[in-house]
Amino acid sequence: MDMIDYPDGEQFSPGHVACAGCAEALSLRVILNTIGPDAIGVVPPSCTAVICGGYPLSSVSIPVQHTTLENAAASASGIKRSLNAMGKPDTTVVCLAGDGGTYDIGLQALSSAAERNEDILYVCFDNEGYMNTGGQKSSSTPLNAITGSTPAGKLSRKKNLVEILAAHRIPYIATCSPAHLSDMSAKIKKAESIRGTKVIIVIIPCLPGWGVADDAAVKTARMAVDSGVFPLYEVEDGVDYTMTINTRNQAVNAYLKQQKRFRHLSDADISDIQADVDWGWEYLLDRAGK
Amino acid sequence: MDRQPSPLWTHATTKLRNTGTWRSAMPEYRTSLSPCLGACPVNGRIAEWIGLLKSGDVKGAWLTLVDNNPFPAIAGRICHHPCEAVCNRQQMDGAVSICSLERHVGDIAMSEGWSLPEPEAVGKKSVAIVGGGPAGLSAAYQLRRLGIKVTLFEQHQQLGGLLRHGIPSYRLDKNIVDCEIGRIIDMGVEVELCAEVGDHHALQKLHDEFDAVYLATGASRPKALPVLDYSKSWVIDSAEFLTVTNAGEPCRLGQNLVVIGGGSAAMDVARTARRLGRSVKLISLEPEHLLPAQKAEVDEAIEEGVEFVTGAEMQSISKDGDSLILECMRIKFNPGEERGRFTIDPVPGSEFQLRADAIISSIGQDADISRWQSLLDNDGTVVNTDNLWQTSTKGIFAGGDVASMDRFVTQAVGMGKQAAAEIGRYLGQLPSGETGANTSQTGFSDINTHYFPPAAPNQQANLEVEDRLQNFNEVQLPLAEDKALAEASRCFSCGSCIYCDNCYLYCPDMAITKLQRGYEVISDYCKGCGLCVAECPTGSVVMLEDRQG
Repeated sequence: MDMIDYPDGEQFSPGHVACAGCAEALSLRVILNTIGPDAIGVVPPSCTAVICGGYPLSSVSIPVQHTTLENAAASASGIKRSLNAMGKPDTTVVCLAGDGGTYDIGLQALSSAAERNEDILYVCFDNEGYMNTGGQKSSSTPLNAITGSTPAGKLSRKKNLVEILAAHRIPYIATCSPAHLSDMSAKIKKAESIRGTKVIIVIIPCLPGWGVADDAAVKTARMAVDSGVFPLYEVEDGVDYTMTINTRNQAVNAYLKQQKRFRHLSDADISDIQADVDWGWEYLLDRAGK
Repeated sequence: MDRQPSPLWTHATTKLRNTGTWRSAMPEYRTSLSPCLGACPVNGRIAEWIGLLKSGDVKGAWLTLVDNNPFPAIAGRICHHPCEAVCNRQQMDGAVSICSLERHVGDIAMSEGWSLPEPEAVGKKSVAIVGGGPAGLSAAYQLRRLGIKVTLFEQHQQLGGLLRHGIPSYRLDKNIVDCEIGRIIDMGVEVELCAEVGDHHALQKLHDEFDAVYLATGASRPKALPVLDYSKSWVIDSAEFLTVTNAGEPCRLGQNLVVIGGGSAAMDVARTARRLGRSVKLISLEPEHLLPAQKAEVDEAIEEGVEFVTGAEMQSISKDGDSLILECMRIKFNPGEERGRFTIDPVPGSEFQLRADAIISSIGQDADISRWQSLLDNDGTVVNTDNLWQTSTKGIFAGGDVASMDRFVTQAVGMGKQAAAEIGRYLGQLPSGETGANTSQTGFSDINTHYFPPAAPNQQANLEVEDRLQNFNEVQLPLAEDKALAEASRCFSCGSCIYCDNCYLYCPDMAITKLQRGYEVISDYCKGCGLCVAECPTGSVVMLEDRQG
């Protein structure tokens, strides 16, 4: 088997208050250790805010600014420009946000930063809902998923943030999964080597929000990738698509069936989702030219 | 009033917070039995040596193998490999070819000329071993490792027993037998050849002269078919036939031979006769799928042109000039509850005839137990032993075919190993009592198969049939180096940590520390999520309920 390969260090401390088995915590560990100590974090309200913070203790070694839900990208832009003015252009400024602070409430700040191509790294931990506040739907919540505010299942589809960002022609967008840690580390490293706005979206199966077992976050993320529900790929300059993994080896059924939020789905619903995933997969392969 | 603004910065890391209080279960690392180890007649640590082979440490793999069995090259050719029948990978895409890998390691050890590890210096205790076959040699090796003075008494001119006289060269080249036995002798085992211990007086004498005796004289007395007159020149027993042909002496039997029997020896006889240019029919009571011989042996015999007449019994013989007429009948074979406890029902009206020039009887061999009668109790078939392999006379131990109906070579090797440990305890060279053995077994569901991409087994090829019948060259060809490595990497390493760091890196709470070799859970931080267990490829971590004191 292939060994996981990334430089583990002391950038993230135990004793944080993420739920037991949280894939966001283990992803943060990889991301922070890959970036290293020369960085400043910007965290809007989110699970990450809870995991990093809890005044007066911090689980992360880099300084972090806890900002408002609307303006992570704007804060990061300002910090980056200040660092440049101070003669510290090599310090990484990284936003660590959730999907609520990215897809919904923080979108205009992110769009503006992307439009100006601010030199920031923006990581979105996408757990497909406002899971930190009791599990309400966000625009990232997929069609039919039950959340606290969509008790019969969400009526609209998941927003495609990658395409929105690609339309800004920023230099780098990538998707990551906590079941593929070497890949996550490699993509962070690649993003760090690029000047401009870089966005990385990490799928985070939320244990209570999605209704999966405490030990199943990694498995669920792996199934999301293996079924093509959450493909791993990169988009460079908004137009060059590259598949990280260009094969699928399972249907969406098993992925959906092990989550409580999808347990109400009928066979017809599932085949509709399968058809949508199939279409999206073919579209991506086509964009990637393979 | 002068109000101080709150400080903006956090003061300390979350390491101060003890999230370990959240948990109700905690992971525990443990090495549990792989199914292959449970099935292995010598309890070989299969997952461990395959792991070493995979990592490129062939010598380490060999040293792990010889810890339990001094004959990897021999076992890698002729073991009945029950390990493969229980391999967890079978439930995915085919068992790991463990036996071929063992041969691979054994062959490298021979070509590199590796010696067995230097044993402890000889102390005061001495043991006599009677019989230089697999059981006796295995015991000699293990006893010598314990620093015991070992003297091996062998009635023939050469050591090896069944390995030398019973198994034809096309299955086991005699150079391999010489090499693997030679290594044991080189450890300082004294050998007395042509030294028959003929009766209970001779055995008693050894018992008086040595601190303990290990009896491993095998089963050398052929079973006789009542309908056959063994004094006739056209009847020969399989053991005699194989001894003669294995020694390279000419076969004086006619052209058309009938072999009676369905075990490994019968296959050896039939296939040897084919190599000597004879036409061979084989009659067995058992139908083909119940033949006691291993399936591969039967398949290879069929490929080599042995004609099988299964589910039949020979009832009488008459002569027609120089030719024999065998009166046979179809039978219904009922295998019964236990091995050997079968019954047969003749099928009326199914009589048929076979013609032959000679008959080779191969229906098994009994241990010659009558010669120890007044010293050692027996059950009429084998010498009685207790669960410590001790006979009815204290200080005399027995194993192998003379004391057991488990008749595979590696079973004898395993018995020799067990007896050596018991003799070691009896002589005070080993601490007494059982160690707290872990008996939990790793099942297929404990393996995270995601980490083992599908890969078809790499199996060793056989010599082409036309190239087999001209000579006694080995039929099984070795696995090529790259194939062997590919095969080794198919091993799930069930229940044995492969130090992949998955548990360490997937822990969201950094609650696992790496040790020099292995890992440890930090109970202050472990929240008990179980991700380490779920993502362990090999099933080497388990969750245990944690009552926190």
